[in-house]
Amino acid sequence: MSADAQAVLQPRALVQRLARVPWPAVLAAIAVAACGAVALYSVAGGTFHPWAERHILRFLLALGLALALAIVPVRIWLAAAYPVYAVALGLLALVPLAGSEAMGARRWLTAGGFSLQPSELMKIAIVLALARYYHWLPPGRRSWPQWMAVPLLMIALPVLLTVRQPDLGTAVLLGALGFGTMFLAGVSPLYFAASAGGIALAWPHLVARLHDYQRRRIEVFLDPEQDPLGAGYHITQSKIALGSGGTSGKGLLQGTQAQLDFVPEKHTDFIFTMIAEEWGFAGGLGLIGLYALLLMALTSMSLACRHQFGRLVIAGAGLMIFVYVFINIAMVAGLVPVVGVPLPLVSYGGTSMFVVLIALGFAMSAHVHRDERMPREDFGPLW
Amino acid sequence: MFIREADDQDQRRRFSRRALLVGAGQLVALGALASRLYQLQVMDQDRYALLADDNRIASHSLAPERGRILDRNGTVLADNITTYRVSIVPALVSDLRGTLARLARIIPLPADELERLLQRARRQPKNLPLIVNADLSFEQVAEIGLYVPQLPGVQTDTAWRRRYFHGRELGLVTGFVGAIERPALDDDPVVRLPGVRIGKSGVERALEAELRGRGGQIKHEVDARGRIVRVLDVSEPEKGGDVAITLDVELQGQVLARLRKERRAALVALDVGTGDVVAMGSQPAEDPASLDTSAEWREAQNAQDDPLLNRAIQGLYPPGSTFKMVTALAALDAGRVTLRERLDCNGDYPYADQVYRCWKRRGHGKCDLHRALRESCDCYFYEIARRTGIEAISAMGRRLGLGQTWECGIALQRAGILPTPDWKRARFGKPWHGGETLHAGIGQGYVLSTPFQLAVMMARLASGRSVAPSLARPVGTKPAEAGSLGLDPSWLDAVRRGLFAVVNEDGGTGSNAQLQDEAVDHIKVAGKTGTSQVHRASTDRATSELKWEERDHALFVAYAPADRPRYAIAAVIEHAGSGGSTAAPLVRDVLEIILKRDAAARPGRTGRAGQPT
Repeated sequence: MSADAQAVLQPRALVQRLARVPWPAVLAAIAVAACGAVALYSVAGGTFHPWAERHILRFLLALGLALALAIVPVRIWLAAAYPVYAVALGLLALVPLAGSEAMGARRWLTAGGFSLQPSELMKIAIVLALARYYHWLPPGRRSWPQWMAVPLLMIALPVLLTVRQPDLGTAVLLGALGFGTMFLAGVSPLYFAASAGGIALAWPHLVARLHDYQRRRIEVFLDPEQDPLGAGYHITQSKIALGSGGTSGKGLLQGTQAQLDFVPEKHTDFIFTMIAEEWGFAGGLGLIGLYALLLMALTSMSLACRHQFGRLVIAGAGLMIFVYVFINIAMVAGLVPVVGVPLPLVSYGGTSMFVVLIALGFAMSAHVHRDERMPREDFGPLW
Repeated sequence: MFIREADDQDQRRRFSRRALLVGAGQLVALGALASRLYQLQVMDQDRYALLADDNRIASHSLAPERGRILDRNGTVLADNITTYRVSIVPALVSDLRGTLARLARIIPLPADELERLLQRARRQPKNLPLIVNADLSFEQVAEIGLYVPQLPGVQTDTAWRRRYFHGRELGLVTGFVGAIERPALDDDPVVRLPGVRIGKSGVERALEAELRGRGGQIKHEVDARGRIVRVLDVSEPEKGGDVAITLDVELQGQVLARLRKERRAALVALDVGTGDVVAMGSQPAEDPASLDTSAEWREAQNAQDDPLLNRAIQGLYPPGSTFKMVTALAALDAGRVTLRERLDCNGDYPYADQVYRCWKRRGHGKCDLHRALRESCDCYFYEIARRTGIEAISAMGRRLGLGQTWECGIALQRAGILPTPDWKRARFGKPWHGGETLHAGIGQGYVLSTPFQLAVMMARLASGRSVAPSLARPVGTKPAEAGSLGLDPSWLDAVRRGLFAVVNEDGGTGSNAQLQDEAVDHIKVAGKTGTSQVHRASTDRATSELKWEERDHALFVAYAPADRPRYAIAAVIEHAGSGGSTAAPLVRDVLEIILKRDAAARPGRTGRAGQPT
């Protein structure tokens, strides 16, 4: 063990670094997860079994992991960025060959009773890799076309692999994360304007290539009444649940829409529907406010960081949480089509819980070590 | 080194700008979500609250139990037995075939029946229950009940099946029930419930409103799979009212036994005082409720002598000479003839280039009304019909109860025809001929009536009041008292004397109607024969030379006792020749049955003829 590593593990250094952990962000995360636990208690009809208890347990484990990640020197994460990305990409490429199939899509890798969704790992890896790249790239070159090929490839490879699974929601999310990180890294806004125009032009072609069920979701989203008992059912019922909740809600365990099973997937993707039905507009607004606090904490952390890698990792984590929250709530409120995106820290599910807290852990590590001197000249393009 | 510092400064500033931009964008986006929530939850709350209630509350109509039909002594003719049903709501089932297959393991469900159900499911609305089996035992339903939690959309409940008694005697009277074919929008929603039957004929149809009862409603809280969570509210259905018919099963049985000796015949007897139907028979008769399969139905419908036709109310016959009382009263009422005026009959009555014949080829000679009725002289009635005119004759027919139907508790009566020039123009587009008045005057030509109407006519003649028939009514109600016919009593008396003479005087055509049974032979009958021509050939040839279907219909109408009429009766035997020889004996036999029963029921109250009773 190097002297450096030993110094890191000294008790005093550990306490110092724990003191630098961004507690406002941690407290916001705890509050959000607590909302999730109460909601899952209600979903189960007033018991902690089977969801709430496991949700709490997972959160505590994942939070512990995040704090552990936070006190590991950010230098180590910087060094690990490309290998992590390479592993995630490799696993993603394995999915079509060795993945297990569920509901017409191949998304999972299973090994020894433990299953992993590589696309989830990729959400973290893509932020790490892009942060690593822009930490190394001299700022003057960031908008040069030849220096954009590598990050674009980094984004395109996992996006294409996820589209083929098919998992449109995750692909969109990965793309948004990647381009968002590039924007934060300072790439010229002209590129973003140009690609927005390009997507608009290519849209009809893209729609034509969608799977039937994907196209159907979009059509039904545009006009849910066209099929109120079929594909439009989820959107319609979710809107009814939200609307009937009213200002102050129907009360815990009293949501007729959720408790009588009119709302689908209410312990996972549609959990916000149940929260807003039972807790009303006040409760929904409160939860959105907690997310806003978390996002503001992350933004201020990113502003305080003195190295580009840290800034981008923190802002990337914020972006990831934001995209999850926005797509999920917009979906249940009937603003975007139904895509399988969970509500971070609230929806039941281990993968999403760990991904969000690992991302937070890296961001906290960047914050704890925000003053670390990591001159760009110390790094080569790959190591 | 300096350049790098500047670079870093620039990078940090640039990041800060963008991070603040992105952060602000995130807050704006979350604000947009919050405003969307505000729109849904605060502004549109009322609308969505209603929709949520629509979701969770499922109302079902509850079918009422149908009222019973009883005979005049309270004997049950139709009631209901509880059956257990299992049904599936297709809207709640993802795999209908699979669910049916699972049910088939519990209850018998042959493969072809399963296919039929799947076909029916495609045709009917998905949210209406599809009845899989409506006739299960309690044990079978209990077993299904065990599996219902695993069979979403499957429900069991109870229903009623109509059960009839004494269909042999009264099947054509009580009628039967069936599913409504095409419910109208304003129909009681109860009739759309699966398994609810409505009256299709007879009493069942005529008193549908009374028998049906009122539907109830149950409100359930249901979950998204349609499973009932709890009952929110119930309003119980109201059982339909019982109705009683005026007939008596036992008497009806005896009358029908006599009627079965004929091939095709019909008979109606009324209580003159109340209008109650005492006996109603149609021969041949098939009990419609006993026909289970559609093949049996088709067979009965196509059977040679039409056993599903209730000839008493649906058989239309030219009344023949039984119509002559109508012509006589019309002429007397219009002042076209007096009681004393004698008209000459030589067998022929020439009118407008044609000769109208009397049934008695040699003629009757001089006839007044009394003799004309007694001997049924056609020429007399040709003359007074000509004098009176068709309008007045038809009007008198209507006054006496012909050409109409009654709301008396039995459906599908036919109105028959009392012709007028207007009617003929509307029907055939041709003008009326005088000769047609002559035919109508003796109950031929266009005139058609049912035995039921003829019985009403006799009750009205016998009582002088506008007796309305009554066959079935809600239990505990009484028919309204009949008002006067408004006819001059002396004319009615003259007609009644003529009818008495038909049966009891020498030369009368109806002497076969005299009662013979010792128990009642002291009672006098008044009546009128009728022989209505159905084929031209019968004019010139004897009955025995004619094919059966060319022979005349035999009619006899009567009331008894003649001096204090209690029963009016009308009978038709199809293609049986002259009324006096075949229909009069039938009426005699039936009157004996009725009067003997009366005597037994009220001993000591039937005195000798002419004595007060």
